[in-house]
Amino acid sequence: MYGSLRASEFVGVLAILVAGFALPFMLPEYFLYTGNMLMTYAVLAIGLDLLIGWSGQFAFAHIAFFGIGIYGTAILESRLGVPYLLSALASALIAGGAGLLIGFPAARLKTVYLALATYAFAECAQWVFRTWDPVTGGSDGLRFNPPVIFGYETGTDGAAFPVVAIILALVVTATLYLAKSKLGRHMCAIRDSEHVASASGIDVRGIKVATFAISAVFASIAGSAYTLFQSFINADVLGASQLVTVLTMVVIGGSSSIAGVLLGVVVVGFLPEILRAMPHSLLVWQEFIYGAILVAAIVFMPQGLWGLFRQRIAARPRRHDRSARESPAVRPVPETSP
Amino acid sequence: MSAFFAIENLGMRFGGLTAVNDFSMEVQEGSIHALIGPNGAGKSTVFNCISRFCDPQKGSIRFGGRDLLELRAHQIVAAGIGRTFQNLELLRRMTVLENVLIGQTIHVPRYLPFAPSPRRARAEAAALRDSEAILEETNLSAYRDTLAGELDFGHQKLLDLARALAGKPRLLLLDEPAAGLRNREISFVDQLLLKLAKSRGLTIMLVEHVMPLVMSVADRITVLSFGQKIAEGSPAEIRRHPKVIEAYLGSEAHA
Amino acid sequence: MILQATLSGIVMGCVYALIALSLVIIYKSTDVVNFAAGEFVMIAGYLGLLLLDHFGLNYPLMVVLTVTLMFAFGALFERTALNKIVGFKYAAEAALVPMVVATIGLSFMLKGAVRVIPSTEEVLRLPPLFSGPPVFFANIVLQRQDIGIVIVAVLVMIALTLGFNFTAIGKALRATSQNPRAAALIGIPVKRMRMMAWGLASGLAGISGILLSPKLLMTPDMGNVVMLGIAASIVGGFTSLVGCVIGGIVLGVVQNLIGIFVSPQAIAVTPFFIIMLVLVMRPNGLFGEAMRLKKV
Repeated sequence: MYGSLRASEFVGVLAILVAGFALPFMLPEYFLYTGNMLMTYAVLAIGLDLLIGWSGQFAFAHIAFFGIGIYGTAILESRLGVPYLLSALASALIAGGAGLLIGFPAARLKTVYLALATYAFAECAQWVFRTWDPVTGGSDGLRFNPPVIFGYETGTDGAAFPVVAIILALVVTATLYLAKSKLGRHMCAIRDSEHVASASGIDVRGIKVATFAISAVFASIAGSAYTLFQSFINADVLGASQLVTVLTMVVIGGSSSIAGVLLGVVVVGFLPEILRAMPHSLLVWQEFIYGAILVAAIVFMPQGLWGLFRQRIAARPRRHDRSARESPAVRPVPETSP
Repeated sequence: MSAFFAIENLGMRFGGLTAVNDFSMEVQEGSIHALIGPNGAGKSTVFNCISRFCDPQKGSIRFGGRDLLELRAHQIVAAGIGRTFQNLELLRRMTVLENVLIGQTIHVPRYLPFAPSPRRARAEAAALRDSEAILEETNLSAYRDTLAGELDFGHQKLLDLARALAGKPRLLLLDEPAAGLRNREISFVDQLLLKLAKSRGLTIMLVEHVMPLVMSVADRITVLSFGQKIAEGSPAEIRRHPKVIEAYLGSEAHA
Repeated sequence: MILQATLSGIVMGCVYALIALSLVIIYKSTDVVNFAAGEFVMIAGYLGLLLLDHFGLNYPLMVVLTVTLMFAFGALFERTALNKIVGFKYAAEAALVPMVVATIGLSFMLKGAVRVIPSTEEVLRLPPLFSGPPVFFANIVLQRQDIGIVIVAVLVMIALTLGFNFTAIGKALRATSQNPRAAALIGIPVKRMRMMAWGLASGLAGISGILLSPKLLMTPDMGNVVMLGIAASIVGGFTSLVGCVIGGIVLGVVQNLIGIFVSPQAIAVTPFFIIMLVLVMRPNGLFGEAMRLKKV
């Protein structure tokens, strides 16, 4: 819907900033590390949700752009001595450009084909990160120095925390404005029906490519945030399992809603901590539990935790007629063939 | 003087299947022109060629002094043509108001997505007012904030129409507006079409199977069978036309 | 050497083709790409080993039992998870994303479950279906297992082609995949057919697992082989059964030749590169039918 930020949205962004500046004085270093990771995941997940939840494009290249953000920022900053903010900006531009580049052919592909093409792109990108020794350090990985922003050194988790929080707050604000803009609504229109969208004058392919580029820029920003509190990157962490983690966050929290995605990030992000705290340390079961949660979430709560939560608050229709209302039962001729 | 809207020698094949073969027709400004024919006659294909979802191999479609075949699908509404959908394509997870706002796309200027500005706020407020006026006109105001997917069937059809009207077309393509409606609802659609044609100066092209509706609102009827035009004329002429009775009513009788 | 590489490429290609067939059967009947197909191959290998070593079954009985269990497993997954997703929670097209994500979830479950079993930490090996000294032709060496793989793959492909075209169930499956609504109208039990398709595809993955496990190192991550199946089916156009077979063989050969002429390091990335290249240049693959326009 058109308009400016609602009070609740404004308060939410403010809360992120306050937490960003207050928590480093209150929590031990280890929790701050987890917090930094979660905020980075949040930026990643919001960007992925733009593609999957908003514009309904089933694309899997997100982690590749995250990688461009990390390597780009780290190499420019550490090796070539470019100031941090400029490095981050340049990486975002490179990622956005790459997003446009694969967005053009990808926008022609439908659903599963798009998923496969982008997945393949991500795997190719990981291969490049792993084998381009002179630039990325190859399979040995790349070490980099803590960035300095206007004289502020971010080497430790505590020092990086406020900066990562500012980045997250900016991304959330931008996304909230996007939700209220014409472009944001066009994304949703494409998700619901490409035919209606193009018959209403929306350049479907153009919007898809634009979404691709924006989502890539967000992923790259997440990568730049990652370099604030890490000092080492290896291509192995940029694989398919990382994508599944982010995807799980989006699906469990509730896609096409910023609050839902943030909730998903917190729930899934704390999962390893919870498993570790269990009596028999269920950590070895982590992979299985991720998968099981993903399947269960999709089967039993398609709108995610946030959707369930909102339903409870609104206490609108009861559960059984809710599912009935969402079914296409009223459609005379449901489309089933591809 | 050239016609308001003219299809010339349109030919469309899907693989080996000829959907439309050497089809020509003209539509007079301000008229309601019905396109009828048995199932699979190619009516929807003609509509899909006009709205550029299909690329015909042959022919031209002239409207407002240009060939529509040079345009892409999203440019058709700016050229002045709106359409509804037979299978109820709606933005199901968006509200009724948002559906109509999407219909207005070409009349809302573009601003930077991430930046608020007073000019943008004014333009968007105006778009909201226009959309609400259209909801008023189509009796949908009460459902303003309902998700489109949650409306009942009759209101969904109405919303499809409201969304198409929001683009302020000069020519409106209606793909089976009465399909699946009850008799009482059909007469409502009937009245609404006549009212719209008059009050907005709309020209309407109509694909429809419900014969009473076609016969009562259409000024002129074109009959398609197996991708070819077999007759054209006023409702009275069509009713008597031997080829139509044979090709159309014959097959409909036991369908 | 090139001839030798080509021949062993054909052998691997036959296995890729089986995995591709498994994917395409599911895709054609439910529109879903089964990202867990590789894990199906993996657990079939482990299952076979378990039946042989632990339960002391003989080889033929093990094959039959493994394929049957895989069939049941696939059908069960369709029934308990996917069917619910299609059933009532999403609009028709929107169900695709959650269904595919569910298969990704399943792949993690399977991988995770196998990894927890202690004995899978060491590299295990399933004995080959056909053993014995290699066969020599001039200066080419052929393993008996390789010849066996080609024979089994060809037999399976022939059986599938005949089954799809000449049996009642095959015809019902094809009807379901082409137009589920019309199929339901003429009395085909569409739900059971979807289950059947998943069962059949999982059984195929089981056969691939038994053929492949003796050739690869068995690890919980062996499921990555799914990308080779996907690449094979994309080359083949994703809708054509014959295309899959040719796609698999082309891929197997290309991979081996790249190993010789470019670098062994590039073998890993070949399938992904091929997927991207084919989808960008020729989205319908070499043998696929053109994507049909959705009816509006």
